[in-house]
Amino acid sequence: MQILKAENISKVYGTKKSAKQYMALKSISFEVKEGEFIGVMGASGSGKTTLLNILGSIDKPTTGRFFMGDTDITTFNKKQLAKHRIDNIGFIFQDYNLLETMTLKENIILPLALSGYKPNAMEEKLMEITKNMGITKVLEKYPYEVSGGEQQRAAACRALITNPKIILADEPTGNLDSKSGKDLLELLSYINGEYKATILMVTHDVFAARYCKKIMFIRDGEIYNELYAGNNKKEFFDAIIDVMSILGGE
Amino acid sequence: MKLTTLALSNIKRNFKKYAMYFFSLSFSVFTAYTFFALMQNKYVLMAFTYDDRYKALLKSFGIIIIVFVMFFLISSNNSFIKARKREISTYALFGMTNGRIGRLIFLETIIVGTIALIIGIGVGIFFSKLMAMILLDISLASFTGKIEFTIAPKAAYITTIIFMSIFCVMGLSGLRVINKFELVDLFKAHKVSEGRSKGSVIVLILSLILIGAGYYLASSSNVRIVVNAAIPVLFLVVTGTYLFFWGGLPKVLNLIKSKKSNYYRGVNLISVSAFYHRVKSIAMVMATIAVLSAVATTAIATGYTLYNNIENNTYEQLGYDMYFYGGQEELLGDVEAAFEAHGNEIIEEFTAQRYTCSPSADVLRIKNSSFNISKDDYFRVYSESIYNKLMSITRCDYKTVSIKSGEAIYVYPFMIDNIADAITGQALTFTDEALKVTATIRAGILSFGAIHTIVINDADFDILLNSGDITDTNEGGAPYDKVTVFKYQQPLSSPELNRELTQILSGNTGSFRTAYTLYDESLQTFGLVCFIGFFMGGVFILMTASLLYFKQIMAAEEERHQYRMLRKIGMDDYMEKRVIAKRLIPVFLIPLLVGIVHSIFAMKSADTLVFSNMIADENSYSTVLLCSAVMYGIYAIVYSIFYFITKGQYSRIVK
Repeated sequence: MQILKAENISKVYGTKKSAKQYMALKSISFEVKEGEFIGVMGASGSGKTTLLNILGSIDKPTTGRFFMGDTDITTFNKKQLAKHRIDNIGFIFQDYNLLETMTLKENIILPLALSGYKPNAMEEKLMEITKNMGITKVLEKYPYEVSGGEQQRAAACRALITNPKIILADEPTGNLDSKSGKDLLELLSYINGEYKATILMVTHDVFAARYCKKIMFIRDGEIYNELYAGNNKKEFFDAIIDVMSILGGE
Repeated sequence: MKLTTLALSNIKRNFKKYAMYFFSLSFSVFTAYTFFALMQNKYVLMAFTYDDRYKALLKSFGIIIIVFVMFFLISSNNSFIKARKREISTYALFGMTNGRIGRLIFLETIIVGTIALIIGIGVGIFFSKLMAMILLDISLASFTGKIEFTIAPKAAYITTIIFMSIFCVMGLSGLRVINKFELVDLFKAHKVSEGRSKGSVIVLILSLILIGAGYYLASSSNVRIVVNAAIPVLFLVVTGTYLFFWGGLPKVLNLIKSKKSNYYRGVNLISVSAFYHRVKSIAMVMATIAVLSAVATTAIATGYTLYNNIENNTYEQLGYDMYFYGGQEELLGDVEAAFEAHGNEIIEEFTAQRYTCSPSADVLRIKNSSFNISKDDYFRVYSESIYNKLMSITRCDYKTVSIKSGEAIYVYPFMIDNIADAITGQALTFTDEALKVTATIRAGILSFGAIHTIVINDADFDILLNSGDITDTNEGGAPYDKVTVFKYQQPLSSPELNRELTQILSGNTGSFRTAYTLYDESLQTFGLVCFIGFFMGGVFILMTASLLYFKQIMAAEEERHQYRMLRKIGMDDYMEKRVIAKRLIPVFLIPLLVGIVHSIFAMKSADTLVFSNMIADENSYSTVLLCSAVMYGIYAIVYSIFYFITKGQYSRIVK
């Protein structure tokens, strides 16, 4: 079943009349199916973060439409967009983006609190989501009191707690050492497998991309290529490296 | 020099941020200049400085203002520098040394300071005539409003010197703040909490007990307790206030947090946790502001209440527009002629005999001290009809009485409940007769030289007069002077008439007093106190409020990334507005409320010490509170204006 469908999405920066117009996305179309774990790769400035921001409805496309299920998100007003973000999208950011003023627990339930859940229902959801993440013991601690991995897991819990239709991850391993990075990617794989969560991850890290089931390469605001993970991990990895070397990434 | 160019462009670029800073600097300068200019103003000099008391009052007021302005400027400057941490760290990152950054900031301070100095003094000069007029108008009964516009170069000179030194101190203390910055903080993105505090129930309870004890002592109706406890009360309440903000407020927040059903609502979760996160770093500022607010509101409320009651108090003391003893035969004609010459009219005049009597009575025991109403003192005595006649001429609001035979009403200027209770029912024994005191009145406008006064039935009066118990002669047999009381038109706004009456009566009577003279004297003292109260209150309000503004703007800079994240999660604009409101309201509201509650109790003390003697009302405290409420209202309005300015700026920063 298709979760998200993008139709001819373009994004132009700079005003229409100015000479400094810059086209970050050029008429991109694609679909995301339920349960997919998609990686979006490309060199710096290829437009991958712009794409993620548009899918996350933080930014608006200049032209084109995209659908969540059957709903056209591009017609939403600000308030509807905010609600749409709480209900349908889970974010995992590069620098965790936990609020340092709140405990991990408060951070995790924040999306629920914003959409007006009852405290008991929140606790239930919290328990359900954190029990497999290994952070139940540090829930009452503040972000700066726990390790980076624990913070990242808490951020993942926050993204998951509303049962979003899709989880958007923006360079999630960017700030982590290789061990923590690996842990997080395994966590995402686990979420993808266990919770049937659909994940779209932007990365330029070939190692991270290995965990995806499908990779979308972007060059100069256009989809350049797509790769699917077969049964052979090594083959997939080599293929990614090949494409990236052409794209001028790492 | 490059540094100057950079400093200038910084100011231009940060103009919005600088606007408030600039405003408070200019206002401080304006305050100082105005004060010094007033001290130089020849009309003010003429009106006040001939009296050493006024001179001392004005001087100590000036020192308080300058010290406070200095405290305010330095701390707001430090907040301002902290708010620019990101920018300053960037300079450091590009290899600027702390010394150079310090010089840059110092240069900016001096440039902005100089402009503020010029504008502040300019505005001060512009308003100097108005300020002098306000001062003179509220202080002089007969101020005509004719006063020349003057520029006081000496005041401008003193102001410039003082502020240039303050700016230097500010620059140095700014350098200290910069030296404390760690470059690495820039990259750590403010992850470490500096201000969380769990608080403590014990501290919370202790703070409430201390404040409560202070309130209890302050609200005592016993004058001696209030006087002796003044310092302890100050100590209790100030300590309690600081303890409350330091340890109690965090505990209260903790309690709010523990009530999950309320706390876990989105807006509350964000705003309470954000406030809690910062409570330690702002607690001391809030406590200081609460204390200053208490001082300011009390000063303003006292001034306003005093001022509002000067007229009442004049008549409370004097009773009539004018009275004099003796010399009626020669003087009455002159007096009446003077009225005619000034186009004024006597509404009523009445001449009364000053009768006395000396009945014997028991010595009363009131709270371990004896109250002897008969031993050496004689009584002034009036018949019911004379009493009612006098009461109809007075400007005070006393009811007429009717007294049964055999009864007496005891009148005493310093009547308190204890005395009234003790004396009611007492017998006053005369040669052949005894009268029983059945009622008391608190008034000082009938005694005309005596301490105790009784009013009795007309028939009783005649009997006692015949029996010789009541007499109008002294021990030597010479008759007492009669007293003549007057009620006339515009008694408080006829200075020329008053001057002439004074001339006529002076030296020719046993004694005389006019309401105008007393009113004018009171206005000078109270008007000055009131003006100082207003001035100081105004300065305190504006400066404490802008200090809170700076603190919050600094916080906004640090909280900015949180709002960005919250918006990504799905906080909409409406919710953001509510979060910001809930985040900022307590910062302004709590010190304001604490300050006002403190002040309400301080006014109770002021009532016990001053106003209960001034205001004729049975319940003088409610009159005091009514006057104070006006000032509390104004205070609250100014604070809410600052709250809205802060909210606007805060929203802009986190956008």
